[in-house]
Amino acid sequence: MSPVAALRAIVIAVALSPLAALAHGATPQKVVETIEIAAPPAKVWAVVGDFQDMGWLPGVVKTEGEGGVTPEIAKRRLFLAGGGVIDERLVQYDDAAMSLRYIIEHVDFAVLPVGNLSATLKVSPAPSGGSVVEWKSRFYRAFPGGNPPEQYTDEVAIKAVSELFRSGLAALKARVERE
Amino acid sequence: MSLRALAVVFLASLLVGAARADEAFIPNQSSDDLTIVDLGAMTPGAALPIGGKPAGIAVSRDGARAYVTSPEGHFVSVVDARARRVLKRIAVDGQPFGVAVSPDGRRLYVADMNGRELLEIDPDSEKTRRVEIGAMPSGVAATPDGRFVIAAARDDNALVVIDAENFARVATIAVGRHPYGVTIDASGRRAYTANVESDDVSVIDLAERKLIGNARVGSHPYGVALAKGRAFVANQYAETVSVFDAATLAPLATIKVGEYPESVGVSRDGGTIYVTNWFSNDLWSIDAESYRITGRAATGDGPRAFGAFVRAVD
Repeated sequence: MSPVAALRAIVIAVALSPLAALAHGATPQKVVETIEIAAPPAKVWAVVGDFQDMGWLPGVVKTEGEGGVTPEIAKRRLFLAGGGVIDERLVQYDDAAMSLRYIIEHVDFAVLPVGNLSATLKVSPAPSGGSVVEWKSRFYRAFPGGNPPEQYTDEVAIKAVSELFRSGLAALKARVERE
Repeated sequence: MSLRALAVVFLASLLVGAARADEAFIPNQSSDDLTIVDLGAMTPGAALPIGGKPAGIAVSRDGARAYVTSPEGHFVSVVDARARRVLKRIAVDGQPFGVAVSPDGRRLYVADMNGRELLEIDPDSEKTRRVEIGAMPSGVAATPDGRFVIAAARDDNALVVIDAENFARVATIAVGRHPYGVTIDASGRRAYTANVESDDVSVIDLAERKLIGNARVGSHPYGVALAKGRAFVANQYAETVSVFDAATLAPLATIKVGEYPESVGVSRDGGTIYVTNWFSNDLWSIDAESYRITGRAATGDGPRAFGAFVRAVD
């Protein structure tokens, strides 16, 4: 990063930080991504349901956490290849329904330009045999006020989350079908 | 009277009954419109375009007007509730979000979400007064006698009491973490606010202006409705409606609802609870006595309906 770009990043971070910690945008956004996997649901859930190992998500080099899969207790930190981290907390876990929900407790906007993200991962039997994995999320853009700067709009946030989920599901499919 | 005449009278009374059912006015934030649901049949009518990412709603007591806030469009729409027509837009600085209408219908109270103020607006002249509320003004409600307005300062963890006459702050009451929706009972004795971050509902004695207690509910409560001496609370993350005794605050039941429920309302007769599900795009009706799900109506995309969305039809 050039000195000017670095300074600009700091200025933006400082300008946003008091708001980012508390407020969020006015309009929550939805992203829903699904994929079919040629493997039994139990085999897919064995990977997806392990909250303490997010190694199947491209870009995650290490997962550190505690609390297993106990809702509201379980936490994890994802270490990213680019050097950033994402802190997440498990809020729901239903082993029988093969469904879990987590929230992002902290992420730098440079890593993922979203606020107040919650997401659900659910594995279901596919009508054709095999499994369907659905990854859906509710979140806000990074900039809470009106007229957001172009790097923190609703569209930027939706694109980032969609791409993250799509790449994650594709990698999950490749891994489970290979095993 | 012949059997046939009796049957005609009976059918006619059914039709009249159906025509007199309440309606729900549901702003859909993602599809930028307003769905009006016939609550007797639980069927949605045509969507009314609103724009500006509508979220907040207040229906006047006489059922003549609905006011819809558009935080991204920076305006409040004045809707003729009978004609199903937008009469005009009132421009508002900032992000108008929570909204309430005075019992006489002559004043609007609008929270500027990412500002710090509550606005009082005369919907006819558009003359405006302002009062400081604090960080992240959210839910708003007026007392039934019209003398006070209660607003949640979400990020200050407080409810603020405003004297409606001189539009000045008269009390600040500490509640749970991140109070959001505000509901006042029909007698005007108590206010209830759902605390999103502390997973409870704070109950306020409005005469004493103090906290009576906090009732434990599910994860991320948003809205509160009151019926049959009970409070019904939509829990956004838990995807349930919690029921507790409004007098003792004792828990009574947990009802599974749709995805990301947010706002709750009640029918005029107190017999039915309505909950909007933001993710699954529908409105569910729940029997307030048996807690059974009695109906589902499709809405537009992303129903918020933050506020008092049930319209009494005359």
